[in-house]
Amino acid sequence: MTDTRATSDAATMFFEGLAGREREHLLAKARGTVRVELTNGAQSEPWLVTIDRGDVTVSRGSAEADCTLRTSRELFEQIAAGKVNAVAAVLRGAVAIEGNWHLLVLFQRLFPGPSGAAAATGETGVGESSR
Amino acid sequence: MTTTGVVKILDGNTFVVSDASGDIDASLTDPTGLFSFDTRYLSKWVLTIDGQRLNALSTDDLNYFEARFFLVPGTGTVYVDSKLSVIRQRAVGDGFHEELTLLNHAGEPVELTVRFDAASDFADLFEVKDALAKKGTYSTVAEQGELVLRYERETFQRATRISSSVAAHVDEHGLTFTVRIEPHGEWQTNLDVVTAVKVATGATQSRTRYARNGGRGRSKMEADLERWLGTAPRVECSWEPLRTTYRRSLVDLAALRFSPPIAGGKSLPAAGLPWFMTMFGRDSIFTSLQALPFKPELAATTIHTLGSWQGTRVDDFRDEDPGRILHELRYGELPAFEERPHSPYFGSVDATPLYVVLLDEYERWTGDTKLVRDFEHEARAALDWIDRYADLMGNGYISYKRRNEESGLENQCWKDSWDSISYRDGRLPGFPRATCELQGYAYDAKVRGARLARLVWKDPALADRLEREAADLKRRFNRDFWVADGEYFALALDTDGNKVDVLSSNIGHLLWSGIVDASKAKALAGHLMGRRLFSGWGVRTLAEGEARYNPIGYHVGTVWPFDCSIIAWGLRRYGFKDEAAVIAAGILDAADFFDGRLPEAFGGYDRSVTRYPVEYPTACSPQAWSTGTPLLLLRTMLGLEPMGDHLVVDPALPRGIGHLELLDIPGRWGRIDAFGRERAEVETRAALRRQLGAPAPPPTRTTRQRA
Repeated sequence: MTDTRATSDAATMFFEGLAGREREHLLAKARGTVRVELTNGAQSEPWLVTIDRGDVTVSRGSAEADCTLRTSRELFEQIAAGKVNAVAAVLRGAVAIEGNWHLLVLFQRLFPGPSGAAAATGETGVGESSR
Repeated sequence: MTTTGVVKILDGNTFVVSDASGDIDASLTDPTGLFSFDTRYLSKWVLTIDGQRLNALSTDDLNYFEARFFLVPGTGTVYVDSKLSVIRQRAVGDGFHEELTLLNHAGEPVELTVRFDAASDFADLFEVKDALAKKGTYSTVAEQGELVLRYERETFQRATRISSSVAAHVDEHGLTFTVRIEPHGEWQTNLDVVTAVKVATGATQSRTRYARNGGRGRSKMEADLERWLGTAPRVECSWEPLRTTYRRSLVDLAALRFSPPIAGGKSLPAAGLPWFMTMFGRDSIFTSLQALPFKPELAATTIHTLGSWQGTRVDDFRDEDPGRILHELRYGELPAFEERPHSPYFGSVDATPLYVVLLDEYERWTGDTKLVRDFEHEARAALDWIDRYADLMGNGYISYKRRNEESGLENQCWKDSWDSISYRDGRLPGFPRATCELQGYAYDAKVRGARLARLVWKDPALADRLEREAADLKRRFNRDFWVADGEYFALALDTDGNKVDVLSSNIGHLLWSGIVDASKAKALAGHLMGRRLFSGWGVRTLAEGEARYNPIGYHVGTVWPFDCSIIAWGLRRYGFKDEAAVIAAGILDAADFFDGRLPEAFGGYDRSVTRYPVEYPTACSPQAWSTGTPLLLLRTMLGLEPMGDHLVVDPALPRGIGHLELLDIPGRWGRIDAFGRERAEVETRAALRRQLGAPAPPPTRTTRQRA
């Protein structure tokens, strides 16, 4: 979870914040891979989030996944910063989703709220500690 | 179904509302059309023959998902002598399928122009309710025998595709068939109306994703309904109307099932047709509770789905907090553009403690500890929410005050209309408001959470803490909410800790939750059965004599069948079996007046005055928790209570019901039968119709039968 990159954009920070999480309660029942494709013009920047009963690993690169979330990098940064609601963005077609919807519902719980505070997590329950 | 009024057929949250001849001709605010995922995909669908609209001879709703319309040409005349019959048979799926048949009864051939006018305003359900204007653009394409209607607002795109099995001339406003039918011959075409969502596939690309044509298919839906009915417990009863009401409830509950996209094909109860065919925290939980002895799988899906959507953030627009259970989820244009907060909206305060109550009650019936383990985190988060986020006044009680002041809900309890919470003199309290039933739910959640913590989560420390908190809450509540001069609990506490002192039906929910001191229960039962609250049919939401009492006021005097079913359960919990039976009798009598389909609410008029229950005018029927009411009343009449791996049966039946059997009750015991019989022989009275509870009978003693 150390920030080895010099970047500080919200999208990258979001993924780096996920990487290495253990026993993440919000994903305790989840097992699978989520591919997040961030598009920027003709370019595509794929991230792969692997969830194994709450343990999370993050890698760059494209691979087969159980579900895919695809949107512009610009919009994703706003989602990762808590400025745009991910579910509403899906409903209006600004974020495309494919594959296992249940996994995506669990995954969207990790996005921060509009106050900028990241989704609460912790051993003893939701709301116990906030990052 | 009559030949007047509207005809509704549905499959999940796709439904069609038309007039009695099958036509749809909606203005923006009319609740008619083809709706799917909270969007209207057809607002016009009008059949004409030679330019004339048709007359309905009869309309049958064959099933909840299909209807048949028998029509003849010509309108407005009393005398119909047509040489032409027209039959429209329509089944809803992902969109709908319509089979049009024309029969020529004449000895000569006929040539006809058959026309369907079609259009869509793609209104969001909220726009239909509130008459709002659209912000996107429309387009229409008529080509290759198909008509495609489109709506587009930025990336939000919806489309309706209409096609027919017989070649039609298609223009931008509909389809025209030129038909010749031989003497005594027939002509037929099949029309498909399919809904579509355009999904983004990249930053610049998108494609249109049509629903699977024809949906689940009629025969599959028929088979599904038969399986649903076949696996439900059977009711035998010498009082015929109960069997009718029970069957109606099961069929309506089947119709109200809703499969959220994340539930893997499983379903939970939606709240009501047509406006509320979506997931509601409160309604889905209460209906799942009512249906537990009959259809426990509904509770499992409700727990799973509401748990997956549980709040994780502090979001004022959505009234979301970590651990909070959602109020309502919508898929339409306004939530998509954050012009309404329902993506999802979290503005209810009872759904969260009730989530824990449902989880425990589900385990008591089914023994499914795996689900309780799987949702341990969600249940703990819900319990945490009660203390951490719901105590807005810092006085140890759940209260509510919306943070979304523009489009959030003011009253976040089940009585959610603007004037539902008042003092005796009619004044309305400020916010936050701590209504009494919320404290009962919180108490029950803690008690039940403690049981689950000890039994399944193996966390005795949590169990001890929850039990301590529950005991403390009960002690404080019985002190702080008690209206001594009336001997009942206040409807709420206001911001100054003063009692909102009206007498209301909410006290019955307190019995259900078990928060009432045993010494106070008798007084409450007396009020619930007394002249101010009990109308003869059921318990009024607000007592006669209060300033805001109005027998046709939504939450200030009407009788809600769902409310009464919870009250009957509460009365049983405190040992008032005969009183519970009187309430069951009144509500079941009322159900009989509505052909077994209880409305959301009916007037609070005294039974001896009106002689029949006066339906409250409402757009929603069937309503899920009204549909679940007869099921819960069967439970309370038979006194069904899981005890370990056994089911205790302790019947207390209304007078006049004779014997009652509930066969093949599913649960942790496998399947079991329950029997009940009144001790006294039924006296047959000459009456307009045979009713259970009229005139208000003295409670009868009943025998106890073993399961």
